[in-house]
Amino acid sequence: MTIGRREFLVSIAGLAVARVAGAQGSANTMDGPMSPDAYHPVRLPPKPGATPLLTDLQRDDLEHRLKCQCGTCSLDVYTCRTTDFSCPVSPSMHVDVMGLVSGGYGVTEILAAFRSAYGERVLMAPVKEGFNWVGYIAPFAALGTGALVVFALLRRWSRPAREAQLVEDTVHATPEELACLRDAMRNDE
Amino acid sequence: MILVGELSLWVALLMAVWTATVAFAGGSLRRQDLVASAERGTYATFAMVVLASLGLWSAIFTHDFSFKYVASFTSANLPKAYLFTAFWGGQAGSMLFWVLILTFFSSVAVLTSRSRNRELMPYVIGTLAIIAIFFLATLCFGANPYERLDWLPVDGRGMNPQLQNPGMAIHPPNLYLGYVATSIPFAFAMAALITRRLDAEWLVAVRRWALVSWFFNTTGIMVGMWWAYVELGWGGYWAWDPVENASLLPWLTTTAFLHSVMVQEKRGMLRKWNVTLVICSFLLSIFGTFITRSGVISSVHSFAQSPVGNWFAGFLGIAIVASVYLVTTRLKDLKANAVLESMVSREAAFLYNNLVLVGIAFSVLWGTLFPILTEAVRGTKITVGPPFFNAVNVPLGLLLLLLTGIGPLIAWRRASVANLRRQFTIPAAALVITPALLFVAGMRSMSALIAYAFAGFVAATILQEFYKGVNARRSMYGEAAPFAFIRLVARNRRRYGGYIVHAGIVIVFCGLAGLAFKTEHDLTVNAGDTKTLVDPFGHTWTFTSQGVSRYDVLNREVTAVALATKRDGKPMGVITSEKRQYFSGADPNNRVPTFEAATAVGIMGSLGQDVYVTLAGVVGQDTSEIRITFNPLVRWVWIGGFCMAIGGLIVMWPQAERRRKQGGYVTTLRPAAVAEGA
Repeated sequence: MTIGRREFLVSIAGLAVARVAGAQGSANTMDGPMSPDAYHPVRLPPKPGATPLLTDLQRDDLEHRLKCQCGTCSLDVYTCRTTDFSCPVSPSMHVDVMGLVSGGYGVTEILAAFRSAYGERVLMAPVKEGFNWVGYIAPFAALGTGALVVFALLRRWSRPAREAQLVEDTVHATPEELACLRDAMRNDE
Repeated sequence: MILVGELSLWVALLMAVWTATVAFAGGSLRRQDLVASAERGTYATFAMVVLASLGLWSAIFTHDFSFKYVASFTSANLPKAYLFTAFWGGQAGSMLFWVLILTFFSSVAVLTSRSRNRELMPYVIGTLAIIAIFFLATLCFGANPYERLDWLPVDGRGMNPQLQNPGMAIHPPNLYLGYVATSIPFAFAMAALITRRLDAEWLVAVRRWALVSWFFNTTGIMVGMWWAYVELGWGGYWAWDPVENASLLPWLTTTAFLHSVMVQEKRGMLRKWNVTLVICSFLLSIFGTFITRSGVISSVHSFAQSPVGNWFAGFLGIAIVASVYLVTTRLKDLKANAVLESMVSREAAFLYNNLVLVGIAFSVLWGTLFPILTEAVRGTKITVGPPFFNAVNVPLGLLLLLLTGIGPLIAWRRASVANLRRQFTIPAAALVITPALLFVAGMRSMSALIAYAFAGFVAATILQEFYKGVNARRSMYGEAAPFAFIRLVARNRRRYGGYIVHAGIVIVFCGLAGLAFKTEHDLTVNAGDTKTLVDPFGHTWTFTSQGVSRYDVLNREVTAVALATKRDGKPMGVITSEKRQYFSGADPNNRVPTFEAATAVGIMGSLGQDVYVTLAGVVGQDTSEIRITFNPLVRWVWIGGFCMAIGGLIVMWPQAERRRKQGGYVTTLRPAAVAEGA
């Protein structure tokens, strides 16, 4: 089984992003090919008499909600730009955020501007609207349904036990025998 | 050696086919000679896979770059320790490693269980051989580590810098061991379903292997978190990446099984549920592997997209169909032997615990697959990141923590009011007092207060159990407290080992809750600059840059910034953070950079918090861009993980299994007729 030079060189580009299965954490290196059209400028004209509505901390918090679009990391813009100097995309996105903040735009407007430029994938979590609600509700709905099923099963299972209890109350046994049984059960607790 | 290894891979495939054939034939025809042949076939397959593995290691250590695998994942200057770990650093090698573990576990299972489970063993061996056939066929035809290049590169590409970390020598093998160990319970479940021998017999072997899987998965996940924390530089240890999620899924279902199996052992209940959990754990392990290798879901940890994803999808589909068929056709044989007597009982509590564990597993699986679903339904790509998973899983995790304390204290069958009062008075007090004290101390984060309240509750239940047990031994045998403690655990390893695992979980939750107080600071510093910051505990820290230094170490060029630190004016030492540019080629004048520069964070740690310094980059000669993160209580996550692993080892200890009687309650009663003097 052999492979040609060209095939190898092509495959090596793909292998650059190879990782050990099950590795933990989120890698922030740029080993894979960076998409040339990854960055889209997000610029809006400043509002008249604009003053920044967000503090630096609020801006950082906002950047935690935007995903770096380099295509090789899964980090948010803030984390990527502050820990990986080689990523060209997250610093550019940061500059856009700064521009919008100084242009007087608020969190919702900035998120909307990024969303219109990149699509919904730029947000670190789906917006709670439309079909996305299915994503948020399904786990709790499943858990609720499971709880109902468990409750129903427990009721069904415990009914024969209650009936057995009634029968047990009429069982012929001496007080000593019942005391012995109770002791055994208590010990097992 | 390399040629022998290459041939051995093919012989191993043939041996596995033979083993599966004679195992199933021996089982159905009741031919002991065929079953014996299958047993020997299992050992022979393992031996062949060992040879195949030695062959690959040999190729790696001799730098035989004519092999695509060796050229892709190693280089001439790669340190020897990482030459060893390169074996599982790529797609094909990691699959060979997987099948090495599988055939080893299969041999151990055959060796230890063949005399005890004679009826089941042919089908156990057959099922394990089928799994081995799948992996070996994928290796031979889909991702062969012995694939050769038709030209000889001067050097290899080298190993990804982030994999050049001691954690990477421990983390993947542990996860593989955990994943693969789910195959043995699955094989026993299949055998029990095929033979309809669904009594408690198969559970004994299954429980031990489930514990093995749980133990290795736990250590694998924990070491992986530690590796992410010290190596990746983003200041966290869990990012809800699809591949991380894939490792969590079988852990959750195995944990659920280890609780519900007690109900089956004690009361003969939850038989369908337990079989389902065993099957799900295995299927989720395969699903995790499918995610990692198919490219279906975007993940930073994925292997390069390759056709083996289709192989895994096919195998997963067949395994699901076979499992569903066997379970649905055996439902009558899986009827419970006993009935539940009360909703306030330990068996009911375990059921609630299982509900939450499986609920979390579902939510993680759902969040992982939701981007695919959204793209299919709406044609829109979305990101499901930490904010989604935290919103869904944090409440469920807290509920699980609470149940961790409740379950072990409720009596089996039916809890009386007296029992509840006796067991829960002190823990309930801890539930109230803990957050009250923290609130008075200044803690205002609601989620953290809830987490610590529940942690206090569970910790009180555990301490109470140990206190009662130690006191009982002291009064019965007059032992000193430390000896009483040791003997208490030694004599009832399963119970008290479990409590130690629970204590580990409490500690992990305390560490996780510390994230609520994490603070991050971005700084630009020149040589000699001093910056002042205040940590979450109110201490004032000063960081003085000692400048940027550049030097070579082994196969990398290092750019480092050193910060002299003081806390409240007291010198605390120097923290150094690095950027490492790896290169290939032994000639220093002819270096070829490999991969992008990687980060090596500087950490000054204590039990209270870590001061975590990341060098983002260097501008000019001496100006560094750094991020300083104060990470409170992060060490407790590692301590808790260690505690869980120790508890798991105690539970796994064989003596505990032998001592336990199966089949429920035994007591001596005199016949009523005799007592009545009839």
